[in-house]
Order: sequence, then structure tokens, then C-alpha cells
Amino acid sequence: MTEPVVTQQKFFEQARQGQLTAVRCGRCGALAIPPKQFCPECSQRAWEPTSLSGRGTIASYTVIRVAPRGHAGEVPYAIAAVQLEEGVSMLGRVVDIPLETLAVGLPVRFRPLTYNGQTTVGFGPR
Amino acid sequence: MRRVAVIGVGVTKFGRHERTSAELFAEAAADALADAGLPASAVQALYYGNVVGGETEKQLHTGPQAASVLGIPTVPTTRFETACASSHAAFRHAVMEVGAGVSDVVLVGGAERVLNVTTEESTEYFAYASDARWEQTLGLTFPGVFALVARAHMTRYGTTEEQMAAVAVKNHKHGTLNPKAQFQKEITLEQVLGSARVADPLKLYDCCPFTDGGAAVVIAAEEVARKARRPIWVLGSAAASDWMLLGDKRDLSRIPATERAAAAAYRQAGLGPHDVDVVELHDCFTIAEIVATEGLGLFEPGTGGVAAEKGWTSLGGKIPVNPSGGLKAKGHPIGATGAAQIAEVVTQLRADAGARQVDGARIGLTHTLGGNTATVLVSLFGRD
Repeated sequence: MTEPVVTQQKFFEQARQGQLTAVRCGRCGALAIPPKQFCPECSQRAWEPTSLSGRGTIASYTVIRVAPRGHAGEVPYAIAAVQLEEGVSMLGRVVDIPLETLAVGLPVRFRPLTYNGQTTVGFGPR
Repeated sequence: MRRVAVIGVGVTKFGRHERTSAELFAEAAADALADAGLPASAVQALYYGNVVGGETEKQLHTGPQAASVLGIPTVPTTRFETACASSHAAFRHAVMEVGAGVSDVVLVGGAERVLNVTTEESTEYFAYASDARWEQTLGLTFPGVFALVARAHMTRYGTTEEQMAAVAVKNHKHGTLNPKAQFQKEITLEQVLGSARVADPLKLYDCCPFTDGGAAVVIAAEEVARKARRPIWVLGSAAASDWMLLGDKRDLSRIPATERAAAAAYRQAGLGPHDVDVVELHDCFTIAEIVATEGLGLFEPGTGGVAAEKGWTSLGGKIPVNPSGGLKAKGHPIGATGAAQIAEVVTQLRADAGARQVDGARIGLTHTLGGNTATVLVSLFGRD
């Protein structure tokens, strides 16, 4: 049985509904998002899906002013590394927070975003 | 394992070229073979780095293409792709082939052509080295990755934009001494700090340029190398990887792959950071140089910015870093960069670097980082 507990596609389907889904290792308790095949802590494959609160704080951020083709019309936009309450981190687009007020430590909350028909990870104000 | 030496090096002028990457590589390779005093027929394998050939030149299978353009179509040829560390990864594997006794003479190198496409296009192609679904969809760019590293380093250690700018000023100054460098003009701290914002807190002059160019080195087993004019010995060559996603990295202010690759290379060589006389490291962005000097053990974590500001990493300083001008001023043709760094360190250890010579250099180190910090190669070199 090598089918992952949470596939990438399933993660984003749930994210679209506003739900951040991680996996917790049934052996050692380690948390992972996005899911991996093996637990990086204990190398076991005993994952169970678990829902995250979506609440976190900004650990680092940048404002992109020169964008790749496909995002050029969106500049300037912010991307942040967010440390979630449960201890794991994710990268996401920052929305509805004025760029000049961005700061490390700022509380944010997960919010699904859709660009070009694809759901991506976003973070907005708490 | 047999001892392995670099016996020939060649690098094209870095900058804009109206030639294919294969042609650029062939020029560098011909120079490297001439330097080694060997005919092309002596080459038993080609290990080749090229990254965005599929995008900018609509060209895959770039290894055999490069070998064909060089005129050695029948040697076994493999293309390596580890983002910006590609030809350093190629080098490590070539050293293992020669060390293992499979071949006696191997050609290693790489080339890249990117200035034939727009900045928007190349920015997109370079971003392919981050995760397609989780990161590219956010509009994350290469400068964006290192901007996140910079903000984390500034937050944790108090590193300043002025300290980052000092790296750019230093490497541009070094670049004026390198006739192969893309930029050969000095810049001021004020120019760096006042340049256009790219990905806050990084500005235009915190970033290396897009570059066309090629580089090649010839490596050989000891019995062949002993007959060469000026062999430079490979004392260690190590690779390390890390999580692909930035979100999976626990502390963006450090680059653990650099620390692991450096530890392994030092162990192979029986050396430590204090033994190193000259360093060519991966300054794709000014913050990348600061974090790399810490990860390589040259300075304590958090003090890399101070070291740059105080001139400790300048020519004539405690430990000269990037005498070539680095990626910042010499340029960064990504598939060629690792080989070009090795060529510079070999040139330094041969005491052949002219105006940018590090006096008395006996031990040199090269460090090349791939993309989103998920790949790092470190090699150590020494002269007889």
C-alpha cells in the first residue's frame, strides 16, 4: 500500500474549501505539510490526515517587484513564509495586508486563492 | 580512490554572446585542453552542465550536442542538471569516475545561453528550479527566494542592507581585475542602496546578472597529472541536498546543505576552514555570499555581514572571497558557473591570476548552490 494518505490534488481540493490538511505520523507524532511518503523523523509510513487551524505568524516575507512571465501584471505582490500554530511552515501569497505594514511576527490566517484557475496558498489578516 | 588533479582550465568571456551554448562550451573546452597540453582525442568522457537549454534554445540532449560541436562525438557524455550547481555536480561525478579508475582523462564543464530571451522569460525559467505546484504558482522568483533568506537573516542577526551592499561593492571591485568578467566597473554603496527594488529587501545591485558563457576543466588521474605542467589536486568534493520547499526548511537564515557539503569536503581533505586561502563561492545574491561564508565556517553564524563590511573578504583581507568578481560581477551563466569557479581557484593556486592574485594561496575552496538552496557542492583544491 503505497498510496499517500493525502495526495497533492486532494490537498488543494480541501484547500479550495478553506481547509489546510497536514499529516501526522502515527508512530512518532511528527507533523508534515505538504504530505511526504516517509516520515522524515522516523522513516515510517504511518501517516494520518489532520486539519490545521490555518493561524500563524510571518517568519519572513518579500515583496516581488520583478515577476516571472505569467505574474507580471500582478506586481507588486508579497510572498511570506508563515510559521503555523502547529509548528510547521508554508509559503503563501499575502493578501489584504498593506505591503508597508508587513513585518516578521505579524499574525495571519490561511486563505485559499485562485490564480489562473489553480488554487494556491494565501494568507490574509487574522 | 586514486588521486585526481585538474590539469587544464578554460573560460569564455562572460556576458552577451551571439553563439549557442554548445559553441561557448567548445571554446572553453578547447582552451582547457590546450592548457592541459592534451589533444581532444585524449578525452575519455564528458560531464556537462546545462540548465535552461530546453527553454532558451529549445535544445535538450545538450551533452552529446556539446561533445559533437567540440568534435569528440563518441565519448560517453552525460548532462547534469542541479540548477545553478550543475557543472559542479558534473565535476564531483567526474572526479569519482577518474578516482575509481574508470577513466584517466575526463572533460568537465558547462554552458548557458539566456540573454537571447527577455528578462521576463528568463525570470520564469529560473523559477522552474522551485516547486511547480507549491511555489511557482505563487509567483515566487529566484530573487524572491533569497529575499526570504535575507529577511530571516536580518531578523535573526541584525544583518543590514548596507552589509549586503558591501558584498556587491567588493565583488564589483574584484571584477575590474578580471578581463573575463561581465562587469568591469566599480560601484558605490549608495548606488547599490539606491538601485531599483527587485524583491524586497533585495535591489538590482544585490542580484547577479543574466549571463551567456561557458567554462571547462580537464581532470586526470595522478599518473597522467604528474606529466602535466601545473596540476592542482582535488582534495575533496562533496554534495549535499535539502528540502525542496522553502516552507519545509526550519530556519531560512541558514543554508544547511552548505554546512553539510562543507563538513564532508573538509573531512575528505583532512582540512578545516582556517586552512583555506582563497574561496570562490555562490554569490547569486549578496545575502547568499554572507550566508555561505558562515555555512563554510569562515565566520560564525550571524557575522558574515560584518565580515563583508569590514573588508575581511576583500582581496588583501583575512580570507579573500570571490577574487574573480563572483557571480555578481563576473556573471552567472548557470550551467557554467561551477566549472568557472573551479577554473578561477585553479588559476589562483597556480599563482596565475595577475592583478587579482591572492598572494601565497595554497588551498582553495569552491562552493556552488543550486536554485532554492536544495543543492550545494563544495570542493577543495591544493597545489603541490
